[in-house]
Amino acid sequence: MKNHFRCFIPLLALAGAVLSSFSVTAADSTSLTAEIPNRPEKLKFPPLQYDPPNPRDYRVQLKSGPIAYVVPDRELPLVNISVYVRTGEYLDVKGKEGVADLTGTLLARGGTKSLTAEQLEEKLAFLAAQLGSAVGETQGSISLNLLSKDLDEGLAILREVMTEPRFQEDKIALFKDQELQAMRQRNDDSSSIESRERAFLAFGEDFWANQYDTEASIKSVTREDMQKFHQRWFHPDNFIVAVNGDFERDEMIAKLEKLFGKWPFKGDKPPAIPTKTKFAEPGIYIVDKEVNQGRVGIMLPGIKRDNPDYFAVTIMNDILGGGGFTSRIMNKVRSDEGLAYSAGSSFPGGVYYPLTFTAAFQSKSRTVPYATSIVLEQIKDFFKEAVSDEEMHVSKRSFIDRFPRVFSTKSQVAARFADDEFTGRFAKDPDYWKEYRTRLDAVTKEDVLRVAKKYLTPDKVVILIVGQKDEILKGHPNHAAVTLDGLVPTHRIIDVPLRDPMTMKPMTK
Amino acid sequence: MRRLLSALLIAGTLPLFAQRVPVQEKYLSNGMRLLLVQRKDEPTVSGGWVAHVGASNERPGITGIAHLFEHMMFKGTPTIGTKDYDKDVKIIAEQERVRGEMRQEEKKMRAAFRKGEIDDMLKPENTTARWRELEKEFAELVKQQREVQVKNEFDKVYTGNGGSGMNAFTSEDMTAYFITVPANKLELWMWMESERLLHPVFREFYAERDVVFEERRMRTDSTPLGKFAEEFEAMFWTSTPYHWPVVGWPSDIPSISKAQADEFYSLYYAPQNLTAILVGDFEPEEATKVAEKYFGRIPRGKKDAPDVVTLEMKQEAEKRMYAEAETNPQVDIVWHTVPFGHKDSYALHVLGQILSTRTGRLYKGLIMGKQLATETWAQTDHRKWAGLFNAGGEAKDGHTPEEVEQAIYTELDKMKKDEVPAEELQKVKNNFAAGEYRKLSSNFPILHQLIQNDGDGDWSEINDAAPKIQAVTAADVKRIVNQYFTKENRAVAVYTRKGGKAAADKNAAPAKTAPKSSTK
Repeated sequence: MKNHFRCFIPLLALAGAVLSSFSVTAADSTSLTAEIPNRPEKLKFPPLQYDPPNPRDYRVQLKSGPIAYVVPDRELPLVNISVYVRTGEYLDVKGKEGVADLTGTLLARGGTKSLTAEQLEEKLAFLAAQLGSAVGETQGSISLNLLSKDLDEGLAILREVMTEPRFQEDKIALFKDQELQAMRQRNDDSSSIESRERAFLAFGEDFWANQYDTEASIKSVTREDMQKFHQRWFHPDNFIVAVNGDFERDEMIAKLEKLFGKWPFKGDKPPAIPTKTKFAEPGIYIVDKEVNQGRVGIMLPGIKRDNPDYFAVTIMNDILGGGGFTSRIMNKVRSDEGLAYSAGSSFPGGVYYPLTFTAAFQSKSRTVPYATSIVLEQIKDFFKEAVSDEEMHVSKRSFIDRFPRVFSTKSQVAARFADDEFTGRFAKDPDYWKEYRTRLDAVTKEDVLRVAKKYLTPDKVVILIVGQKDEILKGHPNHAAVTLDGLVPTHRIIDVPLRDPMTMKPMTK
Repeated sequence: MRRLLSALLIAGTLPLFAQRVPVQEKYLSNGMRLLLVQRKDEPTVSGGWVAHVGASNERPGITGIAHLFEHMMFKGTPTIGTKDYDKDVKIIAEQERVRGEMRQEEKKMRAAFRKGEIDDMLKPENTTARWRELEKEFAELVKQQREVQVKNEFDKVYTGNGGSGMNAFTSEDMTAYFITVPANKLELWMWMESERLLHPVFREFYAERDVVFEERRMRTDSTPLGKFAEEFEAMFWTSTPYHWPVVGWPSDIPSISKAQADEFYSLYYAPQNLTAILVGDFEPEEATKVAEKYFGRIPRGKKDAPDVVTLEMKQEAEKRMYAEAETNPQVDIVWHTVPFGHKDSYALHVLGQILSTRTGRLYKGLIMGKQLATETWAQTDHRKWAGLFNAGGEAKDGHTPEEVEQAIYTELDKMKKDEVPAEELQKVKNNFAAGEYRKLSSNFPILHQLIQNDGDGDWSEINDAAPKIQAVTAADVKRIVNQYFTKENRAVAVYTRKGGKAAADKNAAPAKTAPKSSTK
């Protein structure tokens, strides 16, 4: 058991990110003598005032290049610093897919000019400092969390890691081996097959985010490739910084100027992130896999987060399938029918390109067609009539009353604002968080109905199923009228072959 | 307070007693424990409660009931979840009558299965004709119930009031329910939680049983190692009631009845078996009074929950399991150790850190040194009634799990002979000490730790464990390795890839030896 031998089973798999906030005293005047009412609406609550933090209070343009969000917090003797880098796997070199990922990992793990990888790890471990680095799809990051007493020593290490990484050969070999081991597992778990194939259907085989590293590409990456990738993109002009914890603001700014000043090499400005995606032809796509539960994803073309419909879409999705136990899909598929443990939908707005609407669940093979028909029905019913006042109320209150949790810790404040800076939201819409609740509250039932008609388009539905094909096709005798191919207007069922885990080329049976 | 601590820190080493969580412990008049931690830096309260019951309190036949019960606690009360309670109650009684008859049919189906007349009780075609008739009758009652039902209203009330992260979990030793509410809604939490404890209504019992079975399929049956991990644990524990899975055996889940759940509730959900915990922005005095008002009205249970008396038998011979699975070749080793709070548990925690991490002995010895493994792990696990230590590794291509296994024993043998050097021990202790700060970052993680410690047997370990870990000596570590890490005290699972190498990996080049470490 790589992670835990022990078994905790939570009630809900979809539990959202733990959001959390800051202090407004709610002097409670509970009347202890009053009788306990039979309904919660009869309770009276004192008002709670909350104003979100203002990014301008923390934003600093450093002379050395980066924009930093500096958030002092003297509660604990810890400092947390994150450097976000304008780079990403989209800059991977053709034929050498994996160079971004390897560079990202090895920055922190591969030693520095003056310290071997082992010396670096020992030093960090003795200080109980946590140093990490990574390059994801559209962002790189280097982060350090340490005791404030060790701050200067830690920043010196961080500087060396960022400017003079060693990329030690034996560590390169190890991380390549680990990559290859991970590759061998690509077809082991039905959930990894599902998420991969979903992305192929949603964005197209040629889209940059669907270019996977292969055995050949990983093996061809050299230390020089990593050095080149690093020197090209890891430059202060490409950095956005978030720092919070036990320090004085001005002192920290001076330390940051030193950290990023006089950079030893000059990098490039990265090109724009390509956004040309291709959504698959409508139909039912099946990957045959020997498991007793089918995984189902129902997709529709989505939106970007700066779309004017974003808030209406957010409420629509919350009522349809995003809101956990209060959502319609969960109520029908899980609570009414007992057909799935987790069932729901998401409709996130993409930052750089439109993401998709996805409804998903897992059900035993024989009830896959029936459960799918229920979800499709919920989607189709949604735009037939307006949602109820109660649904609107619950959905809006959930977003509005939970809002303080977006900024519950100082590290969330710093990270959230740095992310807005990085993704351009601050430049475009600096009062986004200040206006958030007002904009959300302005959405009407009519808006929700309008966006439902616009985006919940059954004729475009793409369904991906990973599971035992023969069993799934049999269906269930209690719902004999429901057949899999009858679920889409085209009656198309398309077999999707597994991919060779080491080359990602489709395999023939 | 904190400034003072920082001043101490400048000295260079970490203070032994880094930071205490200021917990106030109270008892309500009915015996329910209340733990309060006031924290003013976010306008929320994270609230939870622990029932001191888990899978280890079950018996064969009702395995999985603690977990199914947890799901049922979200189904509402006489006023939450229905528009017409009287009608609701009548329908539930009628449903139980039909289910009683269905159980008689299921008895016949089990008999047919034992004789080999049917191959799988869960296949829809294998049910009896009468069972299918009854199933239709039951479905009709469900339809009637939906007319008076308010779906998932318990969740809806919290959601509409800004509650977030509502969830619950069940483990071998505890069941816990938690949520974070805005600071001004503390009384709502008191109302909701005390109402469902006072008079829960187990509506939709049978649909939820199906949900739990889907959960089993998702976590255990359809993951590459789920079934094997279940089997391994069943093999490891001889007598302690940890040898069945928390989610329950597949034969048991679909046969648990509502009557059994009712009985379970009255014994294990009595207030003297519960602890409520609040962490966040509230006044402790006031909160205690409100807690007495709401939770104090729940009558004390007539009987106390029985202690688990079965002790783990001393293992007399090594146990081994060989499994072919859809996974990379790997080995997993477990040793019997000691329960939560045992005086040796602290040295075992230290050992876990010495072996794991990127500067730990398994990484240095097996991954970088002998280059046998691409990944290694080690961790200690102390449960309420018994404990275990787990270590393992994934074999590098070209090597076998058995080689990894032997190399782990070699590392342990070194520790049996020589004491851990002072600096290595200090490094590990520094990380435990820093962890004492990191765990205090916000309300919910503090709540979660109190839940765990209270459920395992003693909430005060949240503060008391740290100094005990700092007091562990190199001699202690040497002694526990010699004492617990013996051949006859362990069980080993060896995994190889089903069908040989990963499909289409046949052309993979033989493992090449990476350059030796360039340091030291």
